[in-house]
Amino acid sequence: MPEHITMAGLGAGLIGSAYPMIVAHTGFQGLPCPLRTLTGVPCPFCGLTTATVALSHGQWATAAATSPLAYLVAGLVAVTTPVLAARTAGLARPPRPWSEAARQRTRYVASVVVALSWVFQLHRYGFL
Amino acid sequence: MADPYNPGPYDPGPYNAVPTGSLYANWGQRVLSYLIDIGPIIVLEAVFVRILPIYVIVLLASIAWTAYNRWYKAGTTGQSLGKKVLNLRLVSEETGQPIGTLMAFVRDICHIADAIICFVGYLFPLWDAKRQTLADKIVRTVVIPA
Repeated sequence: MPEHITMAGLGAGLIGSAYPMIVAHTGFQGLPCPLRTLTGVPCPFCGLTTATVALSHGQWATAAATSPLAYLVAGLVAVTTPVLAARTAGLARPPRPWSEAARQRTRYVASVVVALSWVFQLHRYGFL
Repeated sequence: MADPYNPGPYDPGPYNAVPTGSLYANWGQRVLSYLIDIGPIIVLEAVFVRILPIYVIVLLASIAWTAYNRWYKAGTTGQSLGKKVLNLRLVSEETGQPIGTLMAFVRDICHIADAIICFVGYLFPLWDAKRQTLADKIVRTVVIPA
């Protein structure tokens, strides 16, 4: 499972670093958040694109002010990339399935993180 | 006596008996399958969006194709065109059987739940034990290798 998140995070980082160039050449502004478009209320993941672009360009303060969640994903990618590389090279053991207790703990932590991110976004858009 | 033609509920076996992900289609396979199903539709609509009469025809044809491919075929056989190409099947989590046309339609409607949170619901199969999107969880379906 961390491998998939690592790959997704690396992909997001690569796209994020090329994003301003993509926007300049195509005018594509990305997909707007449907919840915010329809209701005006941001979702917990709003700002991730902007924050990823900012992070990939070294704009740390902008990223933190837009979506701290991006820091968490970037941290996860930074920690798991060496593991992924070691496994690919055969230097580390292949991944083992998580126990149900570990999954339960992860679900709980993820729920708290998402809830905190939503509070942050609601505050950023002036709802709190 | 056990009915040899009815495999019964889809049972992935005891937990940790096999690597969890191998029982279900992975995210990449599901994305490719989805792109095969809706990619041509998006391209055609983008090409003809400024030519209104043709766009209306393309739109109606897209709806008809989606109804046949993603709702009727995927609902009755478990395989839309994309899933057939990728050798996947959409089945009920409880029975292991195709979910029927109506539920396949409801499942596509439930994809609203995946989209509404900045499309993050579509990423759920990356970390979910049963590789389900939120729509899959709502209608209790899984996508498995055929």
